[in-house]
Amino acid sequence: MGAASRPRVPSAPLSVDIALTGRCNLHCKYCFYADEMTGLQDLPTEQWLSFFQELGRLAVQRVCLTGGEVFTRPDLWTLIDGVIANRMRYSILTNGTLISKETLAQFEVGKRRLRLDSIQVSIDGSRAEVHNRSRPNSFDRALRGLRLLLEAKSPVTVRVTVNRHNVNDLDHIAHLLLDEVGLAAFTTNEAYPCGIMERQVEGIMLTPSQRLQAMQTLTELALRYEGRISASAGPLALAREFRAIDEHLAAGRTNIPGRGTLSGCGGVFTKLAVLHDGTIVPCHQLATLHLGKIGVDDLQQVWCAHPTMIALRQRREISLENLDTCRDCPYTGFCTGGCPGGALFLTGDFNSRNPMDCYRVHRGQDPYYQLES
Amino acid sequence: MVPPNATRYITNPDVSCREEGPDGALLFNPDSDQVLLINPTGLVIWRALEGPRTSEGIVAFLMERCEGVPEEAVQQDVADFIATMIDKGFVGTWQGA
Repeated sequence: MGAASRPRVPSAPLSVDIALTGRCNLHCKYCFYADEMTGLQDLPTEQWLSFFQELGRLAVQRVCLTGGEVFTRPDLWTLIDGVIANRMRYSILTNGTLISKETLAQFEVGKRRLRLDSIQVSIDGSRAEVHNRSRPNSFDRALRGLRLLLEAKSPVTVRVTVNRHNVNDLDHIAHLLLDEVGLAAFTTNEAYPCGIMERQVEGIMLTPSQRLQAMQTLTELALRYEGRISASAGPLALAREFRAIDEHLAAGRTNIPGRGTLSGCGGVFTKLAVLHDGTIVPCHQLATLHLGKIGVDDLQQVWCAHPTMIALRQRREISLENLDTCRDCPYTGFCTGGCPGGALFLTGDFNSRNPMDCYRVHRGQDPYYQLES
Repeated sequence: MVPPNATRYITNPDVSCREEGPDGALLFNPDSDQVLLINPTGLVIWRALEGPRTSEGIVAFLMERCEGVPEEAVQQDVADFIATMIDKGFVGTWQGA
């Protein structure tokens, strides 16, 4: 089984995820960014604008603006105009609660609407009692914001983060979003044992049986709604992944070409991230791996030559058969080792497999890791 | 169609150009969200068009840098490049003084 081929590394990232602020008007139970929010200070407007100029010089194509809650920044529109002036497109992740008619009017100024790829609102329940358990006191405001964006024909998307509080509500959430609100599609993920949730695992993280339930429910809903529910991680993505493994095994295959190594993350070949104090990190899921500071360190140098970036890219040359946790696993030939962020959170080493994405863990057959029940 | 000779062309200032070593460059139009990969010759033309030039001016610019290439072939390459770029909104006609 050969190592996965390494993608060519472009001269600079194609996109950058930027946490513009550590301020947020909510206190969600599973926020992965909560520790950074309390420990770091926001950068002033001028420093972000200067950074956007650097991104423009490097011909970065798009940024994803997140936080915290981006709409708590009073200078948000100035910053968005800075993105636009430097020849980039942008997307926004928001809790939706601060979206108003004034917000929609602001989007119509200049090229703000033209350059907007998407604006993603988080909805975690079909009604306040469910949504508010993980995202306190926000359901009505988030839904109002979502409806406003839809009425304005904004490129709005929704993310549902599956957790212990909404696992029995998934069909109602799908009905609300797709039938009642009229959303074209939504995506799903799963509350991960990281950030603030690390301290609340038992309260919100799916149990193994709930995870299985979520996988089954979301698979059925995705079929019923014909592709309008998707996922790149979490229960629905894992259900598809694990089903594919079973199908390959049933067909007598021993591997999937390009797999069998720690090749689960392509992000390190295309993108970087920045925390709200200007710290450069490989990804917001790898927020403890500090690579430098904007305005101090040359972003292109960090991208091309930082030892951590090089190590993350070389990760896909590590065969799973060389890992103690995977050596005797019957699924190594079908596996990519999953997200390095999860691996780092759960094992302290990004050069390990992510147990949350592991088929053997999911089946309760792993001798090294058991999901919290 | 070969554009009229007197017309001066210029790159769309909103388009970014990312040089990628021997592969040429990646052009990105953020208004249309279109990406174009251009080869090293295309990159030379692109750089020439960062100031307003006629197609003849670009041909002359290239002929100074290319040895042993028939001028007719260069003219055709330049005409094709400009036509494609105008069609996709990556290059426009110069309206300045």
